[in-house]
Amino acid sequence: MRKISNRIFSFIIYGFAFVTVLLLAFVIYFIVHEALPVFETVGVKDFLLGQRWMPLDSSANPSYGIFNFTAATVYVSVIAVLLAVIISVGTALYLSCAASERTRGFLYSFIDLLAAIPSVVYGFIGLVVLVKLFLRSGHPSGSSVLTAAIVLAVMILPFLISSISDTMLKIKEEYQPASSALGIAEWHMAAEIILPLSLKSIFLNMILAVSRAMGETMAVMMVMGNANLFPRLLGKSETIASLIALEMGTASAGSTHYHALYAAGLVLMVLLLIINLTITAIHKKISP
Amino acid sequence: MKSKKLIALLLSAVLVFSVAACTPKESASSDTAENSQTESTGSDSNAFKSSIMFCGSTSLYPIISSLASSFTEEYETWNTVDSSFPEDHISIYVAPGGSGVGVSALLDGTCDFGMLARTIKDTEKEDLGDGYTEYIVAKDALTVSVNAENPICDTIDDMSGETIRQIFSGEFTTWDQVDSSLPGEEIQVFIRDLSGGAYEVFQNTVMGDSEVTPAATQSASMTELATNIAANQWAIGYAGFGAYNNANENEQVLQAMKVDGVECTQETILSGDYTIQRPVMFVGNTEPTESEQAFIDYVFSDVGVEVIEDNGYIPAFTVE
Repeated sequence: MRKISNRIFSFIIYGFAFVTVLLLAFVIYFIVHEALPVFETVGVKDFLLGQRWMPLDSSANPSYGIFNFTAATVYVSVIAVLLAVIISVGTALYLSCAASERTRGFLYSFIDLLAAIPSVVYGFIGLVVLVKLFLRSGHPSGSSVLTAAIVLAVMILPFLISSISDTMLKIKEEYQPASSALGIAEWHMAAEIILPLSLKSIFLNMILAVSRAMGETMAVMMVMGNANLFPRLLGKSETIASLIALEMGTASAGSTHYHALYAAGLVLMVLLLIINLTITAIHKKISP
Repeated sequence: MKSKKLIALLLSAVLVFSVAACTPKESASSDTAENSQTESTGSDSNAFKSSIMFCGSTSLYPIISSLASSFTEEYETWNTVDSSFPEDHISIYVAPGGSGVGVSALLDGTCDFGMLARTIKDTEKEDLGDGYTEYIVAKDALTVSVNAENPICDTIDDMSGETIRQIFSGEFTTWDQVDSSLPGEEIQVFIRDLSGGAYEVFQNTVMGDSEVTPAATQSASMTELATNIAANQWAIGYAGFGAYNNANENEQVLQAMKVDGVECTQETILSGDYTIQRPVMFVGNTEPTESEQAFIDYVFSDVGVEVIEDNGYIPAFTVE
């Protein structure tokens, strides 16, 4: 009897897992299916490496090149993660080594709250505070890759902090008794044991954070300027996610423009897939 | 070990599906089109149509959806609209999705009326067939606005179409190129996103064959566009007439330029003298049913005028 109910239970569990995989497969199928026509009409090379994007039928010479968008997507995410990781490592060190159990729980709830704020709110704050600040300090348009990277950095902070401090806590638990017994000072332990040992995990989390940052749409769209230019730190640019959000609503279904937007989504998805596979590969290598 | 299995499963699923993706392309899409077509003709021949479906332009969406809800609230059932109608509940659905979607949904038969915020293309008109009717609800115009703190406001209030074209195409990059009395600050060009109806209107009426500079900042909505111009002293952009008036409600933050000597006002837009404008309309491809006609009459009434004006557009009709 027990065996049968176990069987049924595991069957259901497998079923759910399968549905998830099936969903993903369906999404991929759909995107690939909708993206393929553009490679026939435009060509893979022109699409990936072209820098001119003029999708309207009404224009004399439509062209679909997403190189600038792809570059901007990677660029802004990497800058954001670099900015965020400095703060995250500091915060995580404090949370795992200095804060008492109570403070930690208290602060965690605030960090979680940071993650719960809708991205449009971040974007709006970025627009009315950061962009204005940039304008006042002499930046000609206020919106730039750096502006977007700062907003994005704040948005990925919760993820980075909680995952890094989790690792640090684990390491601390492992080495605390030994180091206390040896009479090693708390901060010495943090600097000599915890930080070096968590470097690998920090690195992995950074890559993971890049992949999270790449998909962010709304907040980035509001402060990045959305101009089809090759990304420079203080220049305007546009990410793939913003491109799709801005233009999908009005691209007429079945047009090359529509397919090109799906293809841009496919490029984003492939980028994410590459990153995730890299992480799995690295993870296997560094974890014993 | 488990994750390995899962990845293997996932990858194989992806493979299977991507292979499948290459084959049934054509058949699948034509199938759905056929299905929906037969469905729509089927329901048309039915006796009474108690639900109406609008789909398309995001500019017209708030107007029609607010009219639809007030219409439904006021009458609830069709027999209160007209006693000859059956006692069916009124249901009017409005779905936003952009002008292009409006036309394609109408073609697919997934809606009864397509909403557009631009003139209809000849090819689209052809596709929709002989039953094509357009109901122009309102007019929307694009102002060529600069920041009110720009010193240009004191010296120039009129720009030629050619000057505007040179600014937006990036031939002029600093303000002193527009007029030598102005400082040599960089011009910040603000536009709507490429596929928005406004972009096309501006392209057709002002830009002609030249293209808007890639350095122009795209905004996702007219409100955002107006806010952007208001926030940057050296900005210029084509804020919509409604967004322009909303932004200036409390204090003058934007200054609209005359275009070739014509000021952007309600009169000049309606008379057609001000050329940077577009119709906001919905279109159908069959003779409206009695219930549809009742709602259309409601749109073209005093209530309609009020809602259109509230949304910052200019009613394209007058109520006698």
